[in-house]
Amino acid sequence: MSKSKTVDIVQKKDPVVVEDIQMTYRVGKVDVRAVRGVSLTVKAGEFVAIMGPSGCGKSTLLHVIGGLLRPTSGRIFIDGVDIASISDAERTEIRRRKMGFVFQRFNLLPTLTALDNIELARQIQGNGHVRNHQTTEEILGLLGIADKMHHKPSELSGGEQQRVAIARSVVSRPAILLADEPTGNLDTDNSQMVLQMLQDLNVKYGQTIVMITHDPEAASTASRIIEMRDGRILNRVQNLFYAMEQKRV
Amino acid sequence: MLKLICSNLFQRPTRTGVSILAVSLGVVLVLVSVGLSYGQLTDNANRMRRIGGDFMFQPPNASFFFALNSGTLPIRFREVINKVEGVQEATPVLAKFIGDKFHLIYGIDKESFARVNETLRFVSGRHFEAPNEAIIDTNYARSRHLKVGDRLELLNHPFTVVGVYEEGTASRVMIPLATLQELNGTPDKVTTFFIRAKEKRALDTVYQRLKERFKDYTITRTADLQEIMTANTPVFKQFVAAVVFISVAISFLIILLAMYTTITERTREIGILKSLGASRSFIVQLILRESLLICGAGVVLGFVLAAIAIKLILTAFPSMPVNITASWRLFAAGMALFGGILGALYPALKAAHLDPVKALGYE
Repeated sequence: MSKSKTVDIVQKKDPVVVEDIQMTYRVGKVDVRAVRGVSLTVKAGEFVAIMGPSGCGKSTLLHVIGGLLRPTSGRIFIDGVDIASISDAERTEIRRRKMGFVFQRFNLLPTLTALDNIELARQIQGNGHVRNHQTTEEILGLLGIADKMHHKPSELSGGEQQRVAIARSVVSRPAILLADEPTGNLDTDNSQMVLQMLQDLNVKYGQTIVMITHDPEAASTASRIIEMRDGRILNRVQNLFYAMEQKRV
Repeated sequence: MLKLICSNLFQRPTRTGVSILAVSLGVVLVLVSVGLSYGQLTDNANRMRRIGGDFMFQPPNASFFFALNSGTLPIRFREVINKVEGVQEATPVLAKFIGDKFHLIYGIDKESFARVNETLRFVSGRHFEAPNEAIIDTNYARSRHLKVGDRLELLNHPFTVVGVYEEGTASRVMIPLATLQELNGTPDKVTTFFIRAKEKRALDTVYQRLKERFKDYTITRTADLQEIMTANTPVFKQFVAAVVFISVAISFLIILLAMYTTITERTREIGILKSLGASRSFIVQLILRESLLICGAGVVLGFVLAAIAIKLILTAFPSMPVNITASWRLFAAGMALFGGILGALYPALKAAHLDPVKALGYE
């Protein structure tokens, strides 16, 4: 790693620091500016919801923060490392060590059971060379799906699949949990359950979470809400009720 | 990773089964075709060597396949060869290939053959004495249910089996030289002479003398026969190369197709793995290991099918020699795995370089 990056590590202590990110796609012959100069910081233990309508650039921003996309310009510091300026392999390494993802479509591997999905994530993230059923089973138990651990995704309801996906994303205790419309495919009850789960992870275990949603109700479960429109940040709102909930816990 | 690979393979059982079968056919192709041709060569060489001659004397540019040059050498050479210093005995052999029964018969001169040969052991009966008598080896007797006293038709001519000898020496059937010369329409002609030297330690000297005396003729040490036959047999090398190429091509194409289809179908899953932090090498390993498993299963199935195929061939042609050595098995397995890895490489690299966001959005 270069000297300048070492300096950045010292300067950027927050888990996520985004500085003037621009992201432009080429669609056919047209350039689409999905993100237009976004800057934000997510502090350790924060639960941030990025909210906005479809096409506002929130998913692109999440993918950039998650290292799945390289921005056209700007800098993103994940635990002090600027992932916009490192190689694909280094970004993959950061993703493996620092991040967990929860997707709208759950994205479980359909041929594996719930337990094996989680074990595979653990293996990829480097902690699963020796299978540790105890921990995985414990996590599944905490999420209320211990009895489903040997079921394949096709045998689980949407809510159960999303709970397995959450278990998979936190099994290696990532620094940042990135959730992309985690309730987008769920009914009201399951949505509330998943949001409660994310809130519990944040409040009880201090898990830093960045969640994308277009649903104001879902966004209201976060400690801070960032509203996006047309690739730009429109509003930043601190959720006072959340602070009260934290205090209560 | 193994669980993921196995679950992927079982997810598409038909495709996996067809891929395994195709790879196994490549293995069968190598084992059976090379086993048969190599078996023929080594069997011929061993039988000729066990006749007991130290040298083989053949016409100029003669083939080691006797069937290709049956009866072109005048028998009077025998006297001249016997006069070469150091030669104990030269025994003439006329070989004739019987196409419908797929084997050679030898016409031999009983007396001189006995002076050259030390390995012919009768398990029943005796040597031939009359022109229409034949002796056969145990394999021939077993496969054709023949015993001493039975009638045997060769070249549209009736013979009586008078003796059965242990297999492994000369041809499976032997009749008097004069009879075969007459039936072949080549009186006074033979295919080859097997020459025995008086002393084994003087083989080099005798060889040099024979070479000097018969400059244009083909004189071969029988000890070198197998090596010479496999090295110089027309088209053997090319045949083996072609068979191996086809085998590798089958593995390559089948695995390429199977893995390419697999990664196209599983684009989203690859995106998921990437989002979990799977490195490119992890994805490459995943695809390569999956193809290795298919090829490995194909190799095992290939061994089984080759054994069945050979059993069937030997049932139809019991006297046909088959020689599948451990090194040929290893080679066939190696080629199948090599073809498989080669075929999986492009899909694996393609999968490893997929854009994770596009892959996750793949329907």
